[in-house]
Amino acid sequence: MLTFEKIQSAIFITLYVSIFSTIISFIFSMFFGYILAIYKFKLKKSIVIFLSSMTSIPPVCAGLLVYLLISRSGPLGWMEILYSPLAMILAQIVITFPIMITLIIKNIETDYPIYKEELLSYGASKKDIIFLLISNKLNIYITVILVGFGRAISEYGAAAIVGGSIDHFTRNMTATIALETSKGNVSLGIILGAILISLTLIISIILNTLKND
Amino acid sequence: MNFHKILLSILSILFILLNLNAHSRDYIIVQSTTSIANTGLLDLLSSKFEKQTGIKVRPIAVGTGNAISNAKRGDGDVLMVHSKKDELKFISDGFGVKRHKLMYNNFIIVGPKDDPAKISQETDIKNIMKKISHSNQKFISRDDNSGTHIKENALWKLANINLFDNRKYIKTGTSMANTLNVASEMNAYTLSDKGTWIAFKNKNNLKILFEGGEEMHNEYGIIAINPQKFPHVEYDKSKEFIEWLITGAGKDVINNFTYNGEKLFFTN
Repeated sequence: MLTFEKIQSAIFITLYVSIFSTIISFIFSMFFGYILAIYKFKLKKSIVIFLSSMTSIPPVCAGLLVYLLISRSGPLGWMEILYSPLAMILAQIVITFPIMITLIIKNIETDYPIYKEELLSYGASKKDIIFLLISNKLNIYITVILVGFGRAISEYGAAAIVGGSIDHFTRNMTATIALETSKGNVSLGIILGAILISLTLIISIILNTLKND
Repeated sequence: MNFHKILLSILSILFILLNLNAHSRDYIIVQSTTSIANTGLLDLLSSKFEKQTGIKVRPIAVGTGNAISNAKRGDGDVLMVHSKKDELKFISDGFGVKRHKLMYNNFIIVGPKDDPAKISQETDIKNIMKKISHSNQKFISRDDNSGTHIKENALWKLANINLFDNRKYIKTGTSMANTLNVASEMNAYTLSDKGTWIAFKNKNNLKILFEGGEEMHNEYGIIAINPQKFPHVEYDKSKEFIEWLITGAGKDVINNFTYNGEKLFFTN
């Protein structure tokens, strides 16, 4: 039977995994996004095109990819992270990273030249310009985080494959919904879906209040 | 630039998390078939076993074919499935130590209450499969290499019917409960294990039309994964779990497990 306590643990796992994967994805995409947007080097265009094509990677493919990597017979098998929340975070990073970095690159590519031209004449360093870009474009980064988080929390397939959907440990909301629906508990699936949507609504409201208008 | 520091700290956090996992584990991973997990039996067994021994059980519920292929990659400590032939092959290939009989119930044929293919009068499974294939009724197949799907193929073979490749034969490629959902919506026939059927909540117009007989016997086996093949497995803990299940208190848990007053699994 699905108890309140089980739903609670599914919510906790969902938030834990999706928030962490979004934060890590965001930090990585800021770091590499700035490099890809500002510096000019060989293969830059191919990397950007590859990343933007990866924005539509199906969650099951991402899950399978990570599964093959961290399976005991895979190259990272020694880490022993298959069927753990950490594995779910990794799989969600594969899903969210391309979409977040692509948005960031697009943004900086248009803004950076404008800032640079003006500020360099005032004697600002590259570091100062990047700092100013980040603090002035906070709204855009919040949107990027929301887009990444939305993709992470709503996916089904990636985290389920590498997490194994273990009760109280790696079974998140979407896996619970799929499982209960497949068992014939359709109405319960809908209730869980409503809870999941409310969760994303609350997080979206909180992040939107951070925006400076 | 701060980015380097941030990146370094993330990497070190990941490294610490990985190191936490590096020593001997206090849990075992059980690659299990969906019917044991979806009925809730595995959760019950896991919590009871943990209470008594302190060893956690982490069940991965997938079809028999998937469970075996995961176990062959070394992703698990115990294999709990229901396809004897494949289990024996798993052992002879060196992946498993020994097959123990865990429990049994039976396979059933479910279909529409009014039984348009007229199979409920039959007592021989061969005739039933023939009648279904000759009628214009739909049959829903798991088609996912699970224990039930392997059984279904064996039954078609037994009745000497080549899998009819037409609109009546619908392949879902998903779990038993999901396949029952499809059968229920399409008012069609399907093969199911009895445990999943009893726990299934969306029966609508379906009912059991045939059960019993040697051919429909559904036996679950349990195998510890070979530590010589995969040195990382927790063999001692797996062995303790298996012994607890087949001779210890776990056996009583299986025997006392009911769903809406009906017994789902039987031990030998």
